[in-house]
Amino acid sequence: MGGRGNMKAGKTADVQPPVPDADAEARDAMGRPVSHRKTEVRLGREVQAQIGQQLRAMYDAVVKEGVPQHINDLVRRLSEQDDGAA
Amino acid sequence: MKLDPAIRDQVLAAVPSLRAFAISLCGNIDRADDLVQETLLRALAHIDSFQPGTNMPAWLFTILRNLFRSEYRKRRREVEDADGRYAETLKSHPEQTGRVEFEEFRAALAKLPSDQREALILVGASGFSYEDAAGICGCAVGTIKSRVNRARTRLADLLAIDNVDDFGPDRATRAVLAGGGRN
Repeated sequence: MGGRGNMKAGKTADVQPPVPDADAEARDAMGRPVSHRKTEVRLGREVQAQIGQQLRAMYDAVVKEGVPQHINDLVRRLSEQDDGAA
Repeated sequence: MKLDPAIRDQVLAAVPSLRAFAISLCGNIDRADDLVQETLLRALAHIDSFQPGTNMPAWLFTILRNLFRSEYRKRRREVEDADGRYAETLKSHPEQTGRVEFEEFRAALAKLPSDQREALILVGASGFSYEDAAGICGCAVGTIKSRVNRARTRLADLLAIDNVDDFGPDRATRAVLAGGGRN
């Protein structure tokens, strides 16, 4: 791309130091982008807890169904076979 | 030689969670069950490459995810319209939370980019460590953390908007519009 800031040609030619890219400016002390830090703060505990709870509720609804019969049969049948199964 | 029953039981024990993960990827129970079945066939055919004492669920999840990814590439179009069907999946299940709330949540989840959704599910629902989740997804731990964080943020955005509005059928629509303007 050869982007030496020529897009911003209004300023005095090439004397400008390379403009730190937006990412580099927006880091916090831990080196994380500030945008992330902001959103972490913005995420209330309550909302996070709600997300976690609903996520697990959705997932666990399936987990509670256990092992479907046909899968159980399949695994047991294959595990009795010689390893020529492949 | 026959499969060690202890290993077989480890495989079976992982199946319920494996299915839940598969459904979250596919958005469709039938395809998820096919995927689980294919995963188990492959796993058992290559059981020698599993090292006893290591994490069986993580091993199976990795195989399932890889299978899904290779299939996904082939059928990207079809999968992309899975969002609607995803919201319809498992309609009989919402008992722990209000039904509307549950539907809203699933709709919001379906709007996440797939890599974020999968990271969030692996860590937040399957209960894998960040390290295991990174192994399953073949990426760095930091990448998983960042995906999980972005997923939570995005969901919070979508759900927080809902809290501001009163309940109504078009909340999801508004959430899309508002969410699209961010990040």
